[in-house]
Amino acid sequence: MAILEVTNLKVYFPIKAGIFNRTVDYVRAVDGVSFVLEEGKTYGLVGESGSGKTTTGRAIIGLEKVTEGKIVFQGKDITKKRARTRELNRNMQMIFQDPYSSLNPKKRVLDIVAEPLRNYEHLSKKQEKMRVQELLELVGLSPESILKYPHEFSGGQRQRIGIARAIALKPKLIIADEPVSALDVSVQAQVLNFMKDIQKELGLTYLFISHDLGIVKHMCDEIAIMYKGRHVEQGTKEDIFERPQHIYTKRLVAAIPEINPRHREKQFQFRKEVEKEYDAAYDDYFNKDGLAYQLQKISDTHLVALPEKG
Amino acid sequence: MKFMWKFIVRRIIITFPQLILLSVLLFLMAQAMPGDALTGLIDPNVPEEVKEQRREELGLNDPWHVRYVDWVSGIVKGDLGQSFRFKMPVTEVVTDRVINSFWLSLVTLVFTYLIAVPLGMLSGRYNNTLLDSAITTYTYIGFATPIFIFALVMVWVFGYNLGWFPTSGSVAPGLEPGTMEYYLSKFYHLLLPALSMALIQTVSTVQYLRSEIIDTKQKDFIITARAKGASESRVYNRHIFRNSILPIAAFFGYEITTLITGSIFVERIFAYPGMGQLFIESVLLRDFSVVNAVVLLFGIAMILGALLSDIILSIVDPRIRIK
Amino acid sequence: MEMNNINVVDQVHDPTKSPSGLRILWKEIVRDKLALVSLIFLIVISLSVFTISLVLDQDEIVKVDLFAINEPPSEEFILGTDYGGRDVFGQLIIGTRNTMLIGIAVTLMSGIFGVAFGLIAGYFGGHIDNALMRVLDFFQILPFTMLVIVFVAIVPKYTIFSFALIFAAFSWMGIARLIRSKALQEKELEYIKASQTLGTSHPKIIFREMMPNISSLIIVTMTLNLANNIGIESGLSFLGFGFPETTPSLGTLLSYAMNPQTLEHRWWIWAPAAVMILVLMLAVRNVGEALRRATDARQRRG
Repeated sequence: MAILEVTNLKVYFPIKAGIFNRTVDYVRAVDGVSFVLEEGKTYGLVGESGSGKTTTGRAIIGLEKVTEGKIVFQGKDITKKRARTRELNRNMQMIFQDPYSSLNPKKRVLDIVAEPLRNYEHLSKKQEKMRVQELLELVGLSPESILKYPHEFSGGQRQRIGIARAIALKPKLIIADEPVSALDVSVQAQVLNFMKDIQKELGLTYLFISHDLGIVKHMCDEIAIMYKGRHVEQGTKEDIFERPQHIYTKRLVAAIPEINPRHREKQFQFRKEVEKEYDAAYDDYFNKDGLAYQLQKISDTHLVALPEKG
Repeated sequence: MKFMWKFIVRRIIITFPQLILLSVLLFLMAQAMPGDALTGLIDPNVPEEVKEQRREELGLNDPWHVRYVDWVSGIVKGDLGQSFRFKMPVTEVVTDRVINSFWLSLVTLVFTYLIAVPLGMLSGRYNNTLLDSAITTYTYIGFATPIFIFALVMVWVFGYNLGWFPTSGSVAPGLEPGTMEYYLSKFYHLLLPALSMALIQTVSTVQYLRSEIIDTKQKDFIITARAKGASESRVYNRHIFRNSILPIAAFFGYEITTLITGSIFVERIFAYPGMGQLFIESVLLRDFSVVNAVVLLFGIAMILGALLSDIILSIVDPRIRIK
Repeated sequence: MEMNNINVVDQVHDPTKSPSGLRILWKEIVRDKLALVSLIFLIVISLSVFTISLVLDQDEIVKVDLFAINEPPSEEFILGTDYGGRDVFGQLIIGTRNTMLIGIAVTLMSGIFGVAFGLIAGYFGGHIDNALMRVLDFFQILPFTMLVIVFVAIVPKYTIFSFALIFAAFSWMGIARLIRSKALQEKELEYIKASQTLGTSHPKIIFREMMPNISSLIIVTMTLNLANNIGIESGLSFLGFGFPETTPSLGTLLSYAMNPQTLEHRWWIWAPAAVMILVLMLAVRNVGEALRRATDARQRRG
């Protein structure tokens, strides 16, 4: 069952100039993006910085104003801010990229994790404390640390606090915006595996935003590749990694580092070929503005942005 | 260049609503004040019916927006109303005072820069020396010293105890206007109040110049000039001075605000017949048509001063335009 | 050298953001000898002024005594008497108390309004910010001193409270502008975004989440404003538009010097008040400047 449907989403930021500060042009951060999230699955949104993936996530949760398009969550149209009921908001939460700035430095862990509980559930002080301790235990932190401040924790621990806060209300959908990119590589896997565990435990759906294809491959069931505000290719994990069709996707896949040293030379050759193909075929895959074409269906699950034939 | 013009046009455009708002505020204030335009014109013992008739004739019973338009068009034509104390048009009352205040402000500004430039240059050039510490201490204390205390001490020491300067008025009595003695006496009366204001007012300029010079010292083009063998004094007098002095010069429009506030105190302390003194007297004697006129003129001077400085700064210092 | 290392560590943790921010402000004051002396002076002066003024009988002090006019300092009158035969020392003590109290009151009133104004403008941004900033711009170009004087003159039933209100109404703009630009930066941080997605209301985010994180800026600005406000209040009282003459204040004492005889020959009436205003302002400023250095890691003396 689809939990989230995004149709032709556009988010434009005005560029102002002139004597009267009129809007002269727009930055098209998200320029017509459509996708569907199935309940319990993880959907990956991949792209380089500035491709609009973060803006997409923020528009879905209501942090950016939608210019055009439609967002349907749990069967309700939530495109307009006013249409977002408290109940719907509660079912959608976010994990932020930067574990340092996403926790209020002046507040204790107890207050940080209890913030959503205080907004939605009227618990007694004692119940609240118990819930927070349970949550901390769930994310693998000591329940005794509720009176500590964020700066007393490491980056990975802070991100776990952020996750505890996001799951406190038992949401249905979590938008994870580069949840591990600010962490040491050694900690990344720990946090990612833990996210997978609680997904199973709580039946969560993830919208997983990342620039790292390796991580996306590890986490996601379905993947969309974004470039300059548009999707260039979307499909299942296998579609993207085994049968990439768009030259941009191929280039990204080729850039994943090869761990086995014996294949390194081969990988290097392959990468060179892809690079050559990319330079030669660029005009076939992007329009005259350097943007991706409309998506074309090439199988039930696999869509690629190709020029219309004929 | 194009960007600069845009900034200037935009800056001029926002000046108009500022002026209009100021005039509306003053008009409303005038309404709240006791008495009306008639008070300055008529003998208070005239019977009420006659007063009412005169009011009708003068349009004082019209709706407020009509009166506002009348009032503004009067001001544009130079009609500021009637003074109740002097029994003559406010414009005439104000004229002499404006001239006196103008000279006081001008001499103060000259002193301000005469003090600021050498002190700022020395302090910036020899920063972290004993000389610099002395100048910095002076600016720190000067910054915290209210002008009225300083002016009072100045008039006490140099006016009364040492007797070097006159302690009140703008000219010695009995001198024929137009003679050399008359102008010398005027200047003599200006010196102490102007110096008192300048010594306090200059500190922010000294501080600015100092940090500007310390900044410029480390810039690449200065290092290049040195490397090419320019003498130390040439580096300072030519390159650094020229770069730091322009923004300073542009500040004088902002200084108008400080000057006006200062003049209220200083003119009172030195009994100097300028606009600030007129303002205080008129408030105390409740001559509100004069009060309004003074506030209006000062307000306009401040708005135009800020406009002028903003424009000059946008030409000499591109950084400011980002604001 | 060791001191420097400590500083580096502090910077990494960004002390103004951590809960120990207040402790760092305190440390900086203690390290800065001038600020420490100023703080001790302020504490001593306020304690003694407030206790002595409890003992003093204000009605007795402001009562005119024609048999003791303009007396020089003596054993009976430590600082002599003024033109109405009133004890200058008593007026100085009560005047210092009144000046400090009104300074604090005005600083708090304008500070609370200015901080709220700046936070709201900065947090919401966009059209709200634009509209609020135009209001602020307008207030800032007004001839402040003159308008306060005019309002003081035309307000019916003039009291200390109306004075404080008029004063505060024209002096909230500086802090509002400062707080607004800080709030504009702060609202982009992810903890604010997080609160928005967690269902926290705007007022709660502004005052419970954001405000604590700019508390050090608020404290520093208010301290520096206090120094200014003491000076401005004294100036207005000096001109006769602050405290009514029946309520002693430092500015009123100073205004007796407008009489040339008093200025030239009876220094004991006005000079102590002048020194008191100056020293109070400098001391508060020293503390404020030390606090400012403490919040700016680059300038910290260490």
